[in-house]
Amino acid sequence: MHFIDPDPGEGIATQQINRNYQASQVTQANATGFGAASDDFMERGIDLNEQLIQNKPASFFFRVNSDAMLGAGIHIGDTLIVDRSIPPSSGKVVVAILNGEFLVRRLQIQTHGVSLLPENKRYGAIHVEHLEDYRTWGVVTYVIHAL
Amino acid sequence: MLGIVDCNSFYCSCERLFQPQLLHRPIVVLSNNDGCIVSRSDEAKQLGIGMALPYFQAKELIEKNGVATFSSNYHLYGDMSWRVMESMRALLPKGAVEVYSVDEAFISLDHIAVDNLSTYCLDLKNKIENWTGIAVSIGVGPNKVLSKVANRLAKKNKIKTRGVVVLHNTRLIQAALQHTPIEDLWGIGFQYATKLKNWGILNAYHLSLRDLSWGKKFLGGINGIKLIRELKGLQSHGMQAPRTEKKMIATTRMFGRAISDWQEIEEALATYATRCAEKLRRQHSAAKTVSVFLLQKAPKQIASETYYRGQQVSGYKLLDNPSQLSPDIIKAAVEVGKTLFEQGVIYKKAGVILSDLVPDNALQSNLFVPPANNRRKKLMNVIDNMNAAYRGDILKFGTSGTQKNWKMRSEKRSQRYTTRWDELCLVK
Repeated sequence: MHFIDPDPGEGIATQQINRNYQASQVTQANATGFGAASDDFMERGIDLNEQLIQNKPASFFFRVNSDAMLGAGIHIGDTLIVDRSIPPSSGKVVVAILNGEFLVRRLQIQTHGVSLLPENKRYGAIHVEHLEDYRTWGVVTYVIHAL
Repeated sequence: MLGIVDCNSFYCSCERLFQPQLLHRPIVVLSNNDGCIVSRSDEAKQLGIGMALPYFQAKELIEKNGVATFSSNYHLYGDMSWRVMESMRALLPKGAVEVYSVDEAFISLDHIAVDNLSTYCLDLKNKIENWTGIAVSIGVGPNKVLSKVANRLAKKNKIKTRGVVVLHNTRLIQAALQHTPIEDLWGIGFQYATKLKNWGILNAYHLSLRDLSWGKKFLGGINGIKLIRELKGLQSHGMQAPRTEKKMIATTRMFGRAISDWQEIEEALATYATRCAEKLRRQHSAAKTVSVFLLQKAPKQIASETYYRGQQVSGYKLLDNPSQLSPDIIKAAVEVGKTLFEQGVIYKKAGVILSDLVPDNALQSNLFVPPANNRRKKLMNVIDNMNAAYRGDILKFGTSGTQKNWKMRSEKRSQRYTTRWDELCLVK
């Protein structure tokens, strides 16, 4: 797959493509003799995006601002990764819009409407029957939590 | 066959995606400097808010109807545009997507049988909407002009067409052309439309009946021929290969308020020059020519329908060596700016344009001037990396100033939900 970025935006670091290297630019073994050997085994470092993002154009980040899903390991201040290309189904944790507000809950689809279930005893389940002000926004795939 | 995928009220759709309370409310987005309305949601269109209407003229209507108003949030729109285009690139064969503008792309559909085009495009449309949250319309025809005609009809009758119109036979093409007023045809500007209407050519169908030599004579030569050929169902505009390297790089902005002080102009020019040099380095080019223009504020015109533009002054400088280094570009831009600047004149816009670009790995050097040494290039690299990592200009050149009083006005800008960690959407 060949990706072409129409405008790489503000955040892309510049990489120089210049193959006319001079001797002084080549990293050489230092006194420890370690530099050169390890250079031969250099590879691109681990990129979290590869593990956490399956479909980049459909993936968005949200910031958690409630403890309603504590039981699912979702804490206040955590970052959610939301993939809009995954079809929402019962049992998935989703970001949903209800009455003009973003909520994170476990989705349950029934014959009459949907339910949004919290994972914290202090919160009640929400049953949505009139779907006009409800939208499932996307499916939560990962939560990033600082220890 | 080929199609055009066009985002519906693109800027408004971007705003709505992250502001669920706006689900059914009318929305407008204002241009740079909050000057004009550049995007309207369907609800706002129904209120009679015109496109490109100056904000102050629509203000009463906006306030009376509780229309949500936003300043342009280019970080958000740029990222959302990339998502829409990238979704298409992932869903279509390699090379089948030609990005045409921030919210439109031509797609090649040669791999799809004509009978399956409608189903295929509906599925594509749904996938783009599901993935990105941005609604699109798709018009399909035997060429670009007719796909544009189809797209306009898809947008006009969203419910009936479900956002997809495929013109796959002569009968459909003819009907579509009859429903396209001449002024709404792609490539026909206001002046040509007036002229054509005077000659009784009221819609695209009337124009399609003219022959090519007529087009050559009355519609601007080769472009007229191309347009009429496509209206007749032939192809004149092929798919263009994506251009990864720009031939010209420009940064031009309206000032937040009119300014007449040289120091402020100098700061603005230095900032624009820095921005240009960054773009230049990102595509591994160097520039030979640095051009600058200053736009003066127009004198007040009383009771006039037409817009008066102020006088524009411009100049350029040829660099001794092609360069991609900010200090070289800034120096040249400021030098040119200084020759243009007049004391006592009020300016409202300025721009820096870099042209005669060459690849930086094959810098043609001037024998008599020492080329930029490696150390300065390394410094640029460090600055670029730090600015990229910290999102913003934490390192910059003294000339750019630190106050930026002239900076663009954007009082109602929403958060940069998709490009900044500290501006993410909150979820309860």
